[in-house]
Amino acid sequence: MTRQKIGELLLNNSTIVLFIILFIVFGLWSPRFFLPENMVDIVKQAAFTGIVAVGMTFVLLTGGIDLSVGSNMYLSAVVAGLLINSSLQLAILPALLVTLLIGVVIGAFNAFCVVRLHILPFMTTLATLVICRGLGTALTSSQQIDFPESMNTFGQIQLLGIPMPVIVFLIVIAVAYFILVRTPLGRQIYAVGNDREVAKKAGINTGRVLTSVYMMSGFCAALAGFVLVSQLGGRLDHSFAQGNEFDAIAAAVLGGTSLFGGVGNVLGTVIGALLIQMVQTGLSFNLVNLYLQPMVQAAIIFLAIFFDSLRAGNLKRLKRRFIRPLEAGR
Amino acid sequence: MSDLLEIRNITKSFFGVPAVKDVSLAVSAGQVLGLIGQNGAGKSTLMNLIGGVVLQDSGEMFFKSQPYHPRQPADAYEVGIAFIHQELNLFMNLTIAENIFISNFPRRGFLRTIDRAAIHQRTHDLLQSVGLDLSPEMLVERISPGERQLVEITKALYQDASLIIFDEPTTSLTARETERLFAIIRQLKTGGKSVIYISHILGDVLKLSDSVAIMRDGQLVALDTVNNFDINRMISLMVGRSIEQLYPPRTATPSEKQVLVLKHISSPGVVEDINLTLNEGEVLGIFGLMGSGRTELARMIFGLDPFEGGEILIDGKPMRDPSARTSIRHRMAFVTENRREEGLLMNIDIANNIGLVALPTFARTALNIVDRNSLMEAAREMVKALQLRSGNIEQQSAKSLSGGNQQKVVIAKWLLSEPAIFIMDEPTRGIDVGAKYEIYSLINQISAEGSAILIISSELEELIGICDRILVMSRGEIFGEFTRDQFHDERILRAAFREQELPNTDVHHDAIIQTENT
Amino acid sequence: MSIIDKPANAEVLRVRAKPSAPPRGFSLQRAVRRLIISDYFVLYLTVLFFFVSAIFFPVLRAPVNLANQIQNMWPLLAVAVGETFVLIIGGIDLSVGATMGLTSVVGAMVMATKLDPAFFDKSPMWGILMHPEGGLLGGSDWAVPAAVITMLVIGMSIGFLNGYAITRFNLAPFMVTLVTSTFVSAFALWLTQSRNISGIPDAFVTLGKGDLISIYLGPKLTSDIARRDILPLITYPFIISVGLAGMAQFMLSRTIFGRNMFSIGTNRRTSEISGLPNRRVTLRVYMFSGFCAAVASILYSARLAIGQPSLGGGNLLLDVIGAAVIGGTSLFGGKGSVRGTFFGVAFFVLLLNILNAMRLSPFVIDAVKGLVILTAALLDVTRTRLVNMENRA
Repeated sequence: MTRQKIGELLLNNSTIVLFIILFIVFGLWSPRFFLPENMVDIVKQAAFTGIVAVGMTFVLLTGGIDLSVGSNMYLSAVVAGLLINSSLQLAILPALLVTLLIGVVIGAFNAFCVVRLHILPFMTTLATLVICRGLGTALTSSQQIDFPESMNTFGQIQLLGIPMPVIVFLIVIAVAYFILVRTPLGRQIYAVGNDREVAKKAGINTGRVLTSVYMMSGFCAALAGFVLVSQLGGRLDHSFAQGNEFDAIAAAVLGGTSLFGGVGNVLGTVIGALLIQMVQTGLSFNLVNLYLQPMVQAAIIFLAIFFDSLRAGNLKRLKRRFIRPLEAGR
Repeated sequence: MSDLLEIRNITKSFFGVPAVKDVSLAVSAGQVLGLIGQNGAGKSTLMNLIGGVVLQDSGEMFFKSQPYHPRQPADAYEVGIAFIHQELNLFMNLTIAENIFISNFPRRGFLRTIDRAAIHQRTHDLLQSVGLDLSPEMLVERISPGERQLVEITKALYQDASLIIFDEPTTSLTARETERLFAIIRQLKTGGKSVIYISHILGDVLKLSDSVAIMRDGQLVALDTVNNFDINRMISLMVGRSIEQLYPPRTATPSEKQVLVLKHISSPGVVEDINLTLNEGEVLGIFGLMGSGRTELARMIFGLDPFEGGEILIDGKPMRDPSARTSIRHRMAFVTENRREEGLLMNIDIANNIGLVALPTFARTALNIVDRNSLMEAAREMVKALQLRSGNIEQQSAKSLSGGNQQKVVIAKWLLSEPAIFIMDEPTRGIDVGAKYEIYSLINQISAEGSAILIISSELEELIGICDRILVMSRGEIFGEFTRDQFHDERILRAAFREQELPNTDVHHDAIIQTENT
Repeated sequence: MSIIDKPANAEVLRVRAKPSAPPRGFSLQRAVRRLIISDYFVLYLTVLFFFVSAIFFPVLRAPVNLANQIQNMWPLLAVAVGETFVLIIGGIDLSVGATMGLTSVVGAMVMATKLDPAFFDKSPMWGILMHPEGGLLGGSDWAVPAAVITMLVIGMSIGFLNGYAITRFNLAPFMVTLVTSTFVSAFALWLTQSRNISGIPDAFVTLGKGDLISIYLGPKLTSDIARRDILPLITYPFIISVGLAGMAQFMLSRTIFGRNMFSIGTNRRTSEISGLPNRRVTLRVYMFSGFCAAVASILYSARLAIGQPSLGGGNLLLDVIGAAVIGGTSLFGGKGSVRGTFFGVAFFVLLLNILNAMRLSPFVIDAVKGLVILTAALLDVTRTRLVNMENRA
């Protein structure tokens, strides 16, 4: 009985268990892995995917999907870069605001297609993925954009020794957690994800809820894009953040978010993002062949979704309606 | 006493077919109005008109003496009309408290966060008032179907609605929960609230209502105080004919050959030591209340759910590797209780639905090409034999058929595979009286041709009408067996309630005549 | 077939229309509706689109251009047919592009006639499959057939892994094929260390470029006809791809397997209870998708005369899913046809051609392509609504 319970406990927290095991494995492999600087570095590197994944979690919770985030990161950063480098010579902060605005507008466009035109989120965001990447490369003629030194300085900001990306990540986590758990909108997002029709009948403005999640996802993507540029020494080329949407989805799903909506939370997503990044860092740390890294990563993601399905099956079995008491007798 | 809701000469047509014709009725404060009628009689449309889901073509409505023109469900909610639907409108992934307040959370503080303390206090009080001893923090997915129904009612109470419309609220309730619901309705009435109670359990309607409205073919055929009705009168008004013809005479006699034998089937927490035999040409009924394990047992026999102990013998041979495919290979058929999700391909045409199970028999050549001509011919024969009313069976989707005809498609699909053992779970649920009669005749006919039929129902009257033998299930066990000469509704019900004191015996006695269910 | 369909549709519409609809302008509305619902709508649209564009861009009508554009269709058609199958059973296969990359590379490794050590000596296959004097069977008569079979087998194996994970462990197809895609494309890059493999034998290249029947439209009695004036008509890719599509259409519309696919895509539970072999069908469909991706890979690799690990990267997935959706395949499953996908592919190729003729930059073309997909999806939404309205009558 207890053994079964332990098994269940492990299964229910499979991502955390996987995280701890890999953490120890990497550490034993190369003890320098445990150094605090490295820990901070993992969190810092995880911040970009993490921020996007938090936005993605909102969309997934409603049963949608946002494939456009990678291109969104690129396009919004491109516009900011062009404005900074143009005769306007926009400063960093206004440029950040412009970036965020563009991200939100892309999100709003996605929402418009999904809510008003009733196009499936998958098709909508697959199309915006291509559109945004195309617009971005067209705007830059596929050239690299070099941001001024001020962008680099912005990227090096620290607060109490915590690097800027980590601070931004923490703020995003806190705000997202707050929205999902403490505000009516957050609860309504879960409600819409559970059953959109019922939500409508219950008087929830489902259009508004859906619009807000895509806008939040767009916002997070743009924010992550801007922060990432500042970390790359202010260089932005046409493959920037390409494929990032899949990392974000993987992070959310690893964290227990369902692709079918209604299930998931921000903290899980954060753990998922950290897991993905830790694997990457751990592999590079141990000088694993660069070509092998994505394969190992894919295998670990597979393992995680596999455990997730075991957990779901187990949960279903536990939830089966019992008609009579388990022990014979009464 | 002034009328709370008054409907005057309201009419609504869909594509030229009138669904509600010139209906006028009124509900006054503190009154319970029972509304009954067959499937398609126009009850749902009438309720949709009141709820603002559809707009009337002509006629008008008044609420609290003010003209009332709902354009969307929110308008009904606004003036104080609440609906308790048959299918529950709850979010499984949220707590009870969140479900009640989802569209209107009280907020507090600078950040306008949800005032958790307040909603928990309110929810706690509301739950107390309906006698539910649950934590407001409980996730809805973890409470029983009956409790969910009560939570739904709690929601209406919270909205402080002055008119609450119940549409078949008791289908998922246990006897005790039903009693609790009735107590709440009486309580509402004393508190000056009005109730429209729609149900097919006519006894309940008689017991609860102050007056009764009966609809047929979109028209109001009767509206009077409850004293002027009895069950027979209600049925004949609903059907337009008397009830003698509800069941076709049972003529066939079963043989002695056992085709299906269950030996000590057990599954912890679900069913315990089930023994059962089914003979060739026999119609065996399984009666039980909601949650007695009858559906679970049927699913085990058909290989959809696992069981841990015992064995299933078909024609004396034990069945191995239980699965739907194995069962079909052993010439079993299974009409599930949920025909939309488990019986039909709603978006696919009727012919292909009929051909679904027997499709491999229409394979030609090594490439497994479908012999369309013989498939169509077989489908057409089925349509004729079952008197299935449809248009072009190659083009019309199953979705477009009425409930009764949909059920006939499901039966046709299985008949085409020529089953020896036919399991039917609630085959007449959601079907109107006329179509029910046809389904009963079919069951008769199928058994006369030598198939064994296992029929599960919560309508005792129906089982008594068509079965050779009835087994009673209760809490996962078989708790009584009755042959045709022993059929006695009160005794069977007593077994279902495990010989405990029978709640409202007088009502259930011969009144569980459900005419439809949707 | 359309001739038979139309009167029936019209009949339904007339009956339905009687009561409420306003009489004025109704026949036009009816005609538009009928057009949109028609199975051939995309084809009409493509043809119309072509003629309108041809007025503005004469280059479109040039026989050389036409012949080239038609040749562009075949590899895309092959992979889109596989994806259509997966979409019909309500799944999705994101790994087709990666499958194409890997099969391309492995095929080249089997049959290449020479490999430059400077490029490949770091490859894990160096010395095993790859030698300075070529691939495993480089130079042998069997090299090309062996390579083709290897490619097909690898494609089907990847499909098998997808299908097995989906059916056996009940995993979401989206996640499974996403992971497969990541893994397989990384594997292809690792095998070749990101290099393209050249030295492909001519026999293989013929599969992508060779033709059976060509036509010459120039002046008569010319003794030497320039190569570019010869227009390929019936090419090997045409035969392979259209053959594959024809077989797929046959499977889909005539066999038990095809019927089962639609049933499973419409309602998995009903299908299972009705005794359909859900798992087997699902597994085979994913294998077929892998097979189709391998065929597309053969056609592309042969045309390019290289083994390319990044083949099938970029926006291929959009083209594939876009073509299927434009052709009326539903992402929810239970709806779709090979014929529709064929029209969708034709539409896509034509669109690309027009955008190129307009001399737009490739990036703008991407953006426009995205918009077209959106429009197509919107069209599908409209169409579904119209059909539902019909059915309700």
